[in-house]
This record gives sequence, C-alpha cells and structure tokens, in this order.
Amino acid sequence: MATSSHLLLPQALHMVPRNPTQPSTKLGFSSILSCAPSMNPRLSVSRLSLSHSVSKSSSSLGTKARREVLVRAEGEGEGEPEEAVAATEGNVDDVVEASEAKAPRKPRVKLGDVMGILNQKAIEVSEKVRPVPEIRTGDIVEIKLEVPENRRRLSIYKGIVMSRQNAGIHTTIRIRRIIAGIGVEIVFPIYSPNIKEIKVVSHRKVRRARLYYLRDKLPRLSTFK
Amino acid sequence: MAAALASRLTKGRSLLGGLTNAFSGLMSSSNGSILSQQQQRTFIQMGTTLKVVDNSGGKEVMCIQSLRGKKGARLGDIVIGSVKEAAQKKDVKKGKDDIQKGKVKKGNVVYGVVVRAAMQKGRVDGSQVRFDDNAIVILGIKEKKKDENGKEKKKKHAGGFHQPLGTRVFGPVPHEMRLKKQLKILSLAQHLV
Repeated sequence: MATSSHLLLPQALHMVPRNPTQPSTKLGFSSILSCAPSMNPRLSVSRLSLSHSVSKSSSSLGTKARREVLVRAEGEGEGEPEEAVAATEGNVDDVVEASEAKAPRKPRVKLGDVMGILNQKAIEVSEKVRPVPEIRTGDIVEIKLEVPENRRRLSIYKGIVMSRQNAGIHTTIRIRRIIAGIGVEIVFPIYSPNIKEIKVVSHRKVRRARLYYLRDKLPRLSTFK
Repeated sequence: MAAALASRLTKGRSLLGGLTNAFSGLMSSSNGSILSQQQQRTFIQMGTTLKVVDNSGGKEVMCIQSLRGKKGARLGDIVIGSVKEAAQKKDVKKGKDDIQKGKVKKGNVVYGVVVRAAMQKGRVDGSQVRFDDNAIVILGIKEKKKDENGKEKKKKHAGGFHQPLGTRVFGPVPHEMRLKKQLKILSLAQHLV
C-alpha cells in the first residue's frame, strides 16, 4: 500500500464533497488518524487505506500529489467517497456523522484514553454481576472461588491482603495465608467472574501499601483461622 | 529463622542477605529499594534443594535434572534428584508415618514431581499462586542399570505414569496436580490450594 498512500494523500488535500448519502460537508476533513472503529462500512475500505497511508507518512501530509484513481480503485462500489485528510489534527466529526445514519451516535471518544474507557466499561459490567467491596492492604478477606476443575463446591481462600495492584479490569490483590504450615500467596483478579464472593472479615492496621515483610516474619502473623 | 532466611535467598537478594544474620535480615526488607523491591523467584534447576513432603523416606533432594523446560522446572513438573538426606529408621515412629517398603536412602536417584514452588505459577483464570518453599513428592527410584530395563520397570507402576512412592503427603497441594495427572497426590493431600 505504499504507493497508494502517496497517492491518497494529495487527494486528501482537496476539499471534495462526500458521498452524497453522507450529507456532512461541514468540515470536509476526515480524521484518518482517528481510525475510529465506528466507520461506515462502505467507506471503510477507503478510510482504512487512507488511514494506513496517513499513518505511514504522517509527516509528509500535504506533500503528496494526486491519486484519485487509486482511491476509486480500492474504495467502493458506489461513487467514490473522496475524502479530505486533515492537515495534522484529526477530528472524528466526519466519521461520526458518517455513522450517524447507520447507528446511534456514540459519545465522542477522546483520543489517548481509549484503554481507560474500555477498562471502565468492563469494570461496570463486572460490577453489575457482582459488586466488589472496597479492599485495601491490610484487610483480612475471604474469597469464594469457583474452580472449573472442582465444580462441586466453591473453594474458600482466606488471608490478609498483601498488596493491591490497580490495572483496570485486571486489578489484583495478593492474599497471604499459612496453610498447613506453609505460607501460600495467591494473586486474585478481583473482577474475575470465577470469584463468587469477596468479603472483608476484618482489618489489621498496617503502615505500608505492600506487606512483603510478612514473608520474613513469623508464620503466626500470617495465620488466620 | 536464620535458616529460613538463608534458604530464601535467591538471585535477587543474595548479596545483601548472605552477609547478614537473621536480625538484620528483617531490616533488609526496608532497605529493599537497594535491591529489587520484590524477590524474583526462578525455576528449579540443577542444584536446587527441595524438601520431600511424603513419607517415602527422603528428607531433602537436590535436583540434578529437570525433565521439562530448558530453564528448569516449575510447579507441577517432574525432576530427577539425588537424595541428600533421608529419614533414619529410628526417627520414625510406627504406624501411619512408617517409612514405606520402597524406602528411599541417601544417595538414591529419584524422580519427583514438584508440588510446591517458590516461583509463581499462573493459572488460566488470571490468578497466580506461589508457596514459601520448594517441595517435591517422590515418584520412583531411578535404577542404576544403564539399559532401558530401569525405565520400563518404573513405567509399570501405575497407569502409564509415575505414581507417588509414599502413602501420605504433607502440606498444601495445588490444583495443578490435576492437570499433571497426579490424582493420587491430590487425594492424599491435606489441603488443596
């Protein structure tokens, strides 16, 4: 697609009206950089090709020449949706408006925080199924886990929370406990669907965020009935 | 406590830990920022000493070969080891703790499956488990014969795979044993993690 990219860019420089079915001619600039997933399928090919080209030669925007031909070739079945590529900034307006006709308008996603939004959405979904209590380091919790191999009954894990690592949907807590004389640490992702219940039993005052010192201390401090 | 600390020293901490006694070992965790904050445990490889947690007669085994993995064995893998320390007959009382017929003596070369590893093992549901020590259950004694008679003898033991030599297993056992087809160990275990 390297050649096509060169060809597409100059194309973009022109302000060309869109495909007649998309009445948006507001700005005439489409954001190739956005590469938004909510693309009009009809235009998707051309957009993708454009985006591909733009991403490849983002620095050379506005320095290319014509390539109408190529756009038409790779684009679409119906008329050629000629798009204009924004000079540097991308705005999703065109894309969004393109999809307006197709799907309900989605709230505009700011670039740069897509992962954060996705994580929040995933957490919301998980919270609906099972709300997760506030867990902090030093809590003594009891977790009921469904193990696929042991489907008869839920495994129960009790212990002190040694650490909590926040990572969106993969937020994990590390539980430590002395089981049968041996210290065992297990890391649980708290939004996992396998966890059927988390309950905070009590709390121990700690002055750390990560209690790794418990590994060196007496087993008595990590024993929980 | 000093012994426990000494056994816990691995790559991450060896420098500082080796020079300190138990007391300053506790303090060293506050100086952990000098070294990595978390101790990075690694595989079980040649030279690793492992605790024996069944009543087959052995006490401590040094790994001489990991049968799986280029870097070493993890939780649930089989290793070949040499028995460094075995239980004395007079130390063991009669009854359930009695050493089994196929008693393991010092110097024997044995097969064992790792039931507890200090290195974390990830599970398919995203959780990880790690223990405080390395432990194995002895599966069979490796015969000295050079030809394949030795191997075939062991295969005959049970359903196509080595089965534990002892009749009791101490300590917690992870679910990974089910995947490794060590169902006997699972059934003998005191506690399943």
